[in-house]
Amino acid sequence: MLPTMSVSGELVIENKMISPEHLSRGDLVTFTSPLDPSRIVCKRLIGLPGDVICVDPTGQLAPSTEHVLVPRNHIWVSGDNAAFSRDSRMYGPVSMALIRGRLVAKIWPPTEATVFRNNFNYID
Amino acid sequence: MIQTWKALRTSWHDFMSTHRSLKWTLSTLIWLPTAITFTQYFYTVKSIKGRSMQPTLNPDYSPWRDIVVFDRFAIHTRRQCDRGDVVALHSPTDSKLIVKRIVALEGDTVKTLPPYPDAEVRIPPGYIWVEGDEPFHSEDSNKFGPVPLALIDSKLSFIIWPLARYGPLRKPMAPDPRASRDPAWRLEKAVMERERRRMARVTIAEHS
Repeated sequence: MLPTMSVSGELVIENKMISPEHLSRGDLVTFTSPLDPSRIVCKRLIGLPGDVICVDPTGQLAPSTEHVLVPRNHIWVSGDNAAFSRDSRMYGPVSMALIRGRLVAKIWPPTEATVFRNNFNYID
Repeated sequence: MIQTWKALRTSWHDFMSTHRSLKWTLSTLIWLPTAITFTQYFYTVKSIKGRSMQPTLNPDYSPWRDIVVFDRFAIHTRRQCDRGDVVALHSPTDSKLIVKRIVALEGDTVKTLPPYPDAEVRIPPGYIWVEGDEPFHSEDSNKFGPVPLALIDSKLSFIIWPLARYGPLRKPMAPDPRASRDPAWRLEKAVMERERRRMARVTIAEHS
């Protein structure tokens, strides 16, 4: 998640009172890792149920022609720093039952305090 | 000092004995956090709906829904689950709580049942394979594939209702071949056969 959050860590505000159905593409979601139940991870939501996603456009983890349909009640997530991220390219769509919350704002360090706005652009 | 303390105590006592409803409200408020912590992190009581775990839970001859105790501590804190455990997990397809039996852990190879597209599947790390005991009425891993361990909510600890089956789940054992073959004998034999057939479809990974 490098450009959004730094390696050294920071304090963020998380909204846990969300319903996973009302998330939108571009939100920062936190969920229990499907690989290790003791870890909570934060990724950017890319695909909602029913979307067709290209697994890896760079072709490194999967052939760049491979596309998947995100199943019902699942989301597709991806880290902002794609080269160093274990995300849906590795473990596939994530069930909404694993979602814990959505990040709202960064509050520490104070010089970099921001509200995480939805930065998802749709290309016509 | 002691005098004022005593006076305070007696007046508090008088006040509480005249306001019984206030006393009840206060004691409820004080005990509520304890109760919530207990059900969130240790044990919780649930009733089972549906036929997917027959004949282990909700068997046809039982007129009631089973009421069982689920152990959250074993899953969330001790993180121990094994093949054959009955667990409550969130369904990956609609997030509702379902009760299934763990058939295979990570690294194992399972021969799947019809709705699943592949004939055989190797369980990836961090995932498990769950199935209902009654394959015809069950929406399980044969439908939605291996599920992440993080979806498991709790482990079935024991049945408290109906009283006839009170206690922890028994491990199916071969009934005595010389005993008289009454319906109970045949039921036990069927359970045992079912268990044997289910485990015959699983190849357990070497390292575990």
